[in-house]
Amino acid sequence: MIDEESTLGQFGSQSALDAAGLGAELTLTLTTALHVAGALIFLSVMGALAWAWFRTTGARTWWIWAGGVAIPAGALVILVVGSTLTLAAIRAGGENATIIDVRGYQFWWDVTYDPTGDPVRDGNEIFLPLGEPVTFRLTSEDVIHSFWIPSISGKMDMIPGRVNELTVTANELGRFRGQCAEFCGLSHPLMAFEVVVVTPEEFRAFVADLRNEARDPDTIALRQGRDVFMNAGCAACHAIRGEAEGGVLGPDLSRVGARASLGAGMWPMNVGNLAGWIADVQDMKPGANMPSYNHLTGPELRAVAHYLDSLK
Amino acid sequence: MAEASGMRPLRLAVSAFVVVVAGGLVALWALATPRQDVVGQAVSWVDVRWTMLRDWYNSQPLDGEVEWETAQLQVRGAVAARGPALMIEYGCGSCHIIPGVSGAKGTVGPSLTRFGERAYIAGILPNGPGTLTNWLIDPPLYAPETAMPDMGVSDEDAEDMAAYLLALGHYR
Repeated sequence: MIDEESTLGQFGSQSALDAAGLGAELTLTLTTALHVAGALIFLSVMGALAWAWFRTTGARTWWIWAGGVAIPAGALVILVVGSTLTLAAIRAGGENATIIDVRGYQFWWDVTYDPTGDPVRDGNEIFLPLGEPVTFRLTSEDVIHSFWIPSISGKMDMIPGRVNELTVTANELGRFRGQCAEFCGLSHPLMAFEVVVVTPEEFRAFVADLRNEARDPDTIALRQGRDVFMNAGCAACHAIRGEAEGGVLGPDLSRVGARASLGAGMWPMNVGNLAGWIADVQDMKPGANMPSYNHLTGPELRAVAHYLDSLK
Repeated sequence: MAEASGMRPLRLAVSAFVVVVAGGLVALWALATPRQDVVGQAVSWVDVRWTMLRDWYNSQPLDGEVEWETAQLQVRGAVAARGPALMIEYGCGSCHIIPGVSGAKGTVGPSLTRFGERAYIAGILPNGPGTLTNWLIDPPLYAPETAMPDMGVSDEDAEDMAAYLLALGHYR
């Protein structure tokens, strides 16, 4: 169901020119039409200029009225009508949309599915149902961020103390990249996320599965890792369903090992990167709120990295 | 018509005049500036940039510069060229600086620069193709207190990464 191959290094997974959603497709059509029309207008104006320069007969005032007033007015009317209709079409379908809350933090994304019913948290990876409208309710907990999935829709600012809504419809299965599009601090360029478009049935199964408790550590080594997680104080900020559910300051880690990437869409998810991340967060993501845990001993670090990787 | 057709040469003459005047002004500016100095500055500017570019380029891994053949000989059957991609896949770069591996700038563990010349692995195992391959597969087996986890590396991948690391010689 879930392709774990991340979008890291995948060319075109974050491109508005590679549209895979309603908003991006309509915007791309409008952009293409504008560029073609602009090129045609430029060529005709240059042609008229050349003709006027070398023509041998006298001037005609109606040229001024046609070329300087009528044609620009007509072009502007077409432009206004076209862009208004496009915007209306992009916004349509928001009434019965699935709602997903996304809160921006420095420098990660807190995702809540079904916020109006039985909310369930996840982070840094967003699942979307194919072909169904989804309304993101976007806000921020610290500074202004901007939520942007170029392949699927336009961007929307995340502003502290305010909820902005963005309705999108994904039209292609697969993984896409999102990126914070508003400078938000030291690690702003390292604030990305993955979008996974699945069928509506798979989407509902995913959300239902998310409500289950995280996988229990089933070996001695993994249980040691769980103990390190508890003793080192990780649970103060990070929640793991069924183990420690209080932490809200950091990403929910209930299925962290199942995500394709680590550090908000930045590195492949595996034991090696998890260990390096825990030991030296401030080197991998300068300015993040999580401290580097290099006071863990070697065996403790290995155990907790294996434990987190096992949460799938 | 006679008057109108007479306009064309006039406009062409005006265009030519504008071009000649503009060109003349540029020529005057060029002559008025100490010419040798301008050329010298341009040459040194280009030279500095070129040197920077060349150094940057040389700092990247190149097929011709890493001694792939030696590496293949050291770990029989291994494909050293797969090393960098494998090291990204296993996340080695979050802890180690590894020449030629994109984004490998970690400072959790030791830098792997010139690893082929390293005497001991982690200060414990004599460095060599066999020991390095075994170490990559299960570091805690040899160093129980190490922070380096067992990353589930397959035998084949370990051999390829070992071959690459052993090829990191004097110049990298």
